[in-house]
Parts: sequence; structure tokens; C-alpha cells
Amino acid sequence: MSFTAFLVDDDLGVLKALSRIVRTAGYDSLSYSSPRDFLREHDPSIPGCAIVDLTMPDLDGLKLQQCLMESGDDRPVIFLSGRGDIPASVRAMKAGAIDFLVKPVNREQLLSAIAQAEARDTKTRQERCERLSIEEKLAKLTPREREVLHHVIRGRLNKQIAADLGTVEKTIKVHRGRMMAKLQVRSVAELVRLTERMDVRGTEQTATP
Amino acid sequence: MSIALVTPTPLRRMIDTGRELHAPLIAAFAYYLGAQAAFVVGTLSDKIFAPFWPPNIVLLCALLLSPYRRWWLVILAVFPAHVVAEIGVGMHAPQLMVAFASNVMVATVSAAALRRWRREPRWFGSLRDTCLYLAVTTLASPALSAVVGAFVPAMSTGSAGRFWSFWAQWYLSNAVGSVALGPVALVLLDEVRRRRLQRPRRPAVEAAVLAASLIIVCSVVFEAGSVMNSSSFLPAIIYLPLPFVLWAAVRFGVKGASGAVLLLSVILVWRALNGPSVFLAGDPGTSVLALQVFILGLAIPVLLLAASIDEARRAEKLARESEERMAIAAISADVCLWHIDYYSNRFWVTDHGRDILGFPPGEILTRHAVMNAIHPDDRQQAVETMRAAAAEKRLADCEFRIVRPDNGEIRWLRCRARAHGDYRGALAEISGTFADITERRSAETELAQQRSELAHLMRVSMLGELSASIAHELTQPLSAILSNAEAAKVLMTQKPPNLAEAVEALDDIIGEDNRAGEVIHRLRGLLRKSEVKFEPTDVNDIVNATLRVLHTELTTRDISVSTSLTANVPLVSGDAVQLQQVLLNLLLNAADAMNEVVPPRRIIEIGTRRTNTQDVQIIISDCGAGLTPDHRERVFQPFFTTKARGLGLGLSLCSAIAKLHGGSLTLENGTSGGATATLTLPALPQLQATG
Repeated sequence: MSFTAFLVDDDLGVLKALSRIVRTAGYDSLSYSSPRDFLREHDPSIPGCAIVDLTMPDLDGLKLQQCLMESGDDRPVIFLSGRGDIPASVRAMKAGAIDFLVKPVNREQLLSAIAQAEARDTKTRQERCERLSIEEKLAKLTPREREVLHHVIRGRLNKQIAADLGTVEKTIKVHRGRMMAKLQVRSVAELVRLTERMDVRGTEQTATP
Repeated sequence: MSIALVTPTPLRRMIDTGRELHAPLIAAFAYYLGAQAAFVVGTLSDKIFAPFWPPNIVLLCALLLSPYRRWWLVILAVFPAHVVAEIGVGMHAPQLMVAFASNVMVATVSAAALRRWRREPRWFGSLRDTCLYLAVTTLASPALSAVVGAFVPAMSTGSAGRFWSFWAQWYLSNAVGSVALGPVALVLLDEVRRRRLQRPRRPAVEAAVLAASLIIVCSVVFEAGSVMNSSSFLPAIIYLPLPFVLWAAVRFGVKGASGAVLLLSVILVWRALNGPSVFLAGDPGTSVLALQVFILGLAIPVLLLAASIDEARRAEKLARESEERMAIAAISADVCLWHIDYYSNRFWVTDHGRDILGFPPGEILTRHAVMNAIHPDDRQQAVETMRAAAAEKRLADCEFRIVRPDNGEIRWLRCRARAHGDYRGALAEISGTFADITERRSAETELAQQRSELAHLMRVSMLGELSASIAHELTQPLSAILSNAEAAKVLMTQKPPNLAEAVEALDDIIGEDNRAGEVIHRLRGLLRKSEVKFEPTDVNDIVNATLRVLHTELTTRDISVSTSLTANVPLVSGDAVQLQQVLLNLLLNAADAMNEVVPPRRIIEIGTRRTNTQDVQIIISDCGAGLTPDHRERVFQPFFTTKARGLGLGLSLCSAIAKLHGGSLTLENGTSGGATATLTLPALPQLQATG
């Protein structure tokens, strides 16, 4: 699968040179000379990272990063800056930037940062994928099955669950079996691992105090 | 004490009275002596009538020397002298009274008229005054008083029939006295009063020789005249003394002429009465009459001639004095006077001027020598200024350099001159002044140099403030170059190599390198310490160049610039670096003024335009808080600043640069809040207005 570098710099010469570096390394590149153009045309589904100049008219790199985060896009960001601006670099890294590179930036540095970004992007994309499949499965559960699920992952016995829900143990057993089948797990341990990722417990707890 | 000083004491009054009497007493004495002298020289047969009567001149002098209010005192004092003298020669009382009346009359009329109409402070100081003297003392007043005086001989002889002959005698005797003795007396009195009796030795010798010659010639003439006796040579011989009288007149003026006339008169009269005379007639009376006419005829033109000579000589002296005063004034004012005559091609200049120009004293200078001394670069302009001023009939004023012919030193002169044309309008002469302004010029040059150095320092410091954004501007191309180079390397070494793309990358490297070079070039221009150079400059170019330098700085500070440049704005004469500096300063001020403004509203408007008055303006407005009235008054003062880290020299320097360009810089509050700076520069005359 290809990886795309989204280049954002108001300087066309720099933009062109960066794109050349990125492409020689085998990545795709998309260049934007204005941060606003980038935000407008950005497709979060394309795997890739943003390489952003810190100093730009209208909207600087840090603000662009903020905009991405606010829109729920966890696109990894690599900053480029003409000067070693320490406060800006600190803010960028705290906000989750991959790296903060000072121009002129050499190929090795840039490519290693891109590789890092690719790794993170791949990871987040996988995680999101898994979460989506789990969510899909959870969505198939009936409310009763979901209640049973919560009780099961808290380690309660069928008998106790039946008592709590005011029904017989056999009914619980049926629900539990269906629920396990829908979630495609075979053991309670597997069920717990799956639900941990989704933080089902947390949400349920807040729902039922 | 003080009262005693003011109020005259009796003693003081006596002394004063004594002084007042002093003059009349001397006059009385002199009157008596004069009368005696006349008797010694000789009287006519009646022993009373002298052909030459000094006492009247004495009286005239006394009256002229005394104020009107003391005339009575003089007349009173003289009366006894008259009485004593006339009784001595046996005159009767009635005759004596009439004679005195006549004498007083001639003296008072003359004195009053001379007092009334004389102009020069010096006797016989001008031809006019001399004419007046002659008209009054030899014509009018003797003629008038002779009407009275003629009664005196008439009374003694009892023959009223000869009244007019007596009148003529009386008239002539007074008139001759007036021409022969009066001028000598008055000139001598003048001299005494001016205390200039001591004359240099040589003229004294000359005067003595002259007097001796005159006496000898007169004696010879009379001896010869008496021997020749009615020879046809007589009228010729009688004019022999004339050259000596003229000599006296020419060499010594009125003083000499009057002395010679007196001498001649005395000799002639004495000879006429006491021995064989040239003027032979039937009786001594007629002889004397002829003699008197001769003296009058000789003396009047000689006196007039002498007066003219004196007047001319005095005018010459005055002119020389005035020239000397002028020269002194010129030297003390450090100004030299000069004159060019186009007909003779001569150049005249004061000695001081020769010193400055480096011409040796005494050398005759031509117009070309002076033109060659003017610095070749300035010659054309100096000549054109003169020509233009001459054509407009006004005073030319120009400054130029000269190269001293003696040591090659260069000096600055300020020259003011007026040219005069001849009747055809061609240049005939130019006269004027010049002053050495080398010191002032070098002070000005030094000042300009200091100002230029200060401007340079300010530019360096301003660019220092911009160092971060300048570094950024250099980093961009360097960054692009590095990336392109690395990419090119990969493109060429990969398998298969992508040479087309590598070449593109190399092209981009060249482009980026040029770009970095431009940044450095721009900076070097601003950092350069060079002389101010005025060249035809487009203000739009200046604005664009300045905005390029500030691009990153303004971007970093979230300031947007809105430009409205008028196309084809006239060129101005200016130094591009200094004008950029002014704009840099104004733009940075505008940027600083907007630190407190929220980013979208940080806008600087910059525009160029042409005014109705042939000026070009660059207008820079910001959206800051504007100026307080207090600031507005003081912004252009040195060391006034509103910034925490400012020096306060920026705007005062900008204003100085604007003035150096013949323009101005103003700072006002704009209509939309914020400050507006307006740099006004005079436009160059548009040469290619049609092209």
C-alpha cells in the first residue's frame, strides 16, 4: 500500500524540492502552497503524513496541526522550520508531532521522520480497523445480550446474573451463548481482551451508576 | 558741588567774556595791521585811497569766524582800529564814518551771503563755492558798497561829477582785495583750524622755489616793461608770470593759486605805485585801475581753475579712500572684489582675492587665466549661471571650485556678480565678489559624511532586528538546494537512473541559488557604506524592493500588506538605498504599531501617487493606535521614542533623508485610525513625457 506525504509550504521552490525527495524515496506526494488549500482538500482516509512549514502567512503550522486534531484526524505531522524555535518545537511535540526538523533538512532526517510517521500511521489505521470490526460486532448485540456481556466481563456467574436481571439461569446461558457467538470469542478471557480495547466497561459504568 | 559746576561762577563768566572778546580784539588788531600794510604798499595821490585794501578782508574773515550774535562785537572792536588807521593818514571824520560804513557793508553782505549759500565745509572746496565766493565778494557786495564808498573821495575832492569813477576805484579796490587776499586768508584759517600747517618737506621747497621764481619773473617783467616802454612786446611780457601762477594752481590748488595771486598783486601794486610800471598811463590812478582790472582778469580764472583742480583731486582722494574702505570691508568680510572687462580681456581682483586664487601679486591677469583656474567640472555651470543672470539682469550667485594655479590646491568659492552689457546687448563687463567657502564646504561634506554614516549604522541596526526573518529567507533557497541536490543524486544513482528529473532538479538548484544570491545582494546593498548617489529612481521599485526585504518579517508577524501603486509615477532624483531605508523604517514602525491589534486586522497600506504640485508621494498607513498629540509634535526629534528598545533616531534620520532629497516626511493620524506617514519627493521633469 502506498504512503503519501502531504507537503505544505508557502515557498514553491522548497515545496518542489521536498516533493522530489519524497518521491525518490518511493512515496507519493501531494503539495499545497497554502495551509487552507490543504485543509479544504484533505482526505484523511489516504494513508500518509503531513510535512508542514512552521512559518506561513495566514495560518501557521501549529494552527494547522490544531485544526487537524479538532477535526478528529490523527494524521501524523512533521514540522519544518527555518529557525530553531524552541517554544514552537515544544508545543508541536506536545501536540503529538512526529518530529520538528530545522531547515535546511537533509534527506536522511526527513526520510527517517517519514518512516516513523508511516509506522505510526499504519498502527493507528490497524487499530482503527480493529475497533471498527469490534464495534460492528457489538452493534449486533441485543440490549439484553449487552447487559449479560457487562455482567460476564465483571466475572459474575450465570446464577448471579440471572438473579440480578430477575430471570432464570437457563435464559442467561442462552443469551451468553448468542453474545459469544456474535462477538466471535470462545473464552471469557478473549471476551475481556476485546472489550478492554473498546472500553465497554467504562461506558457502561457511566451509563449505569 | 554739582550746582557750582553747572552755574557759571563770576570768575568763569569773566573768563568766558574774555574769550568772547578775544576774537574781536584780534580782529581789530589785524584790521589795523591790514590798513597799515595797504598804506605801505601804496595809496593813491590822496594818500587815503589804497588800490588794495586788506582790512575789509580781515573784517570779512572775523565775521565769518564769529557767530551772528557777536557780529556787533566784532564791528564795535574794529571801529577804533579803523579810526586810528584812517586818522593816521589824515582822513576827516565824516569821510571816515562813510568809509567805515562802506567797509562794514561789504564785509557783512559778503559774510552773510557766504554763510547762507556756501555748501562745502572747506573753503573753495568746490567750483560752485568758488563761483559763489567770487560772485559775492568780487561782484555783488563790492559793487553795492562802492555806491556808499564812492562818497568818500567825493567828499574829500568835492567833485560829485566823478562819482562813477570813484565808484569804480572803490569797487575795484575791494574786488582785488577779495581775489588777492581773501582766498589766502580763508584757506590759511582753514588750515590753522585743521592744524595742518606742517606740510611735507618737498612741497615746502617747491613752494619756496615757486615763490622765488614768481618774484624774479615779476621783477624781470617790470624791469623789461619799463625799459621797453610801449613796445609791442608789452602785452606779451605781461603774461610771463602766468605760467608760474598756473604752476601754483596746478600743484597746490587754491592754496597755491591764491598765494601766487596775492604775491603777484602785491608786487604789481607796489611797482605801480612806487616805480616804473608796466601799466603806464597818464596818472597813477588810471595805471592802478588798469592794474586792478589785470589782477581781476588773471585771478578769477586761476582761482576757478585751482578750485576745479582741488575738487577733482579731493574727489579722487575720496574715491581712493572709499576704495580703501571697501577693500578693508571686503577683507574683514572675507570677500574679494573682482572685475572683468571684455574689451581688454583684463581681470582685476583685490589683493586678498589674488591670495585666494593663488595669483602672484602684480601680474596682469586675463579673463582666460581666471576661466582656466575654475575647476573643469564646474566651469560650464559657472558660465551658464553668469549668462542666465546677465540675460535676466539680476545678480548671479553660484558656487564653484577653483584649482589654484600655483600649488594645485582646490578651493570652493561663492561668487556673486552682475554683468553689464554694451549698447548691443553683448557682455561688456562683469563685476562682483567672491568669498572663500572652502571651510564651510568641508564642514558640510563632513556633516554629510557623518549623516551618511549614521544612516548606515541605523540601517545595520534595523537589519539586525530583521536578522531572524532574513535568515529564514536565506534558509528557504538553501533548503530547496539541499533537497534538490540529494534528490538528484538519488535520481542519477538509482537503477535505472532518471536523468530527466535529475536535470530538472539541477535547474531548480540553479534557480534557488540565484534566489539566495538576490537576497544577499539586496542585503549587501542596504549594508553597504557608500556615498549618497542621486539617480533617477522609480518610487514603485523602491516600494517593491523594500517589501521584498520585509516579506518574511511581516509574514511572521501576521501582517498583511495592501499595495496600491500608481503606474507610471514620475521618477524622482534619489539615493535608492537611503529611500529604501526610509521605507524600511516607516514599515517597521507601522508593524510595531500593530503589535496590540488582532492578526486579521494587522494591515499596512502602502501606496504611491503623484500630487498636483509635481511631487511624488509614498503613503504608508497602519491600523495601530495612531499618534497622541504629544507624540505628533515630537516624533521627528532625535532620541524621542515610544518603543521600549528604540533609539529614537529613526524618524529624525528619515526626515533628514527626506530633506536631503528636497522633500519632506509627515506623520499624521489617518482617517481610519492608525498613523499615516507621507514621504513627499519632488518629481524630476519628465523628459520622455510623450515617448
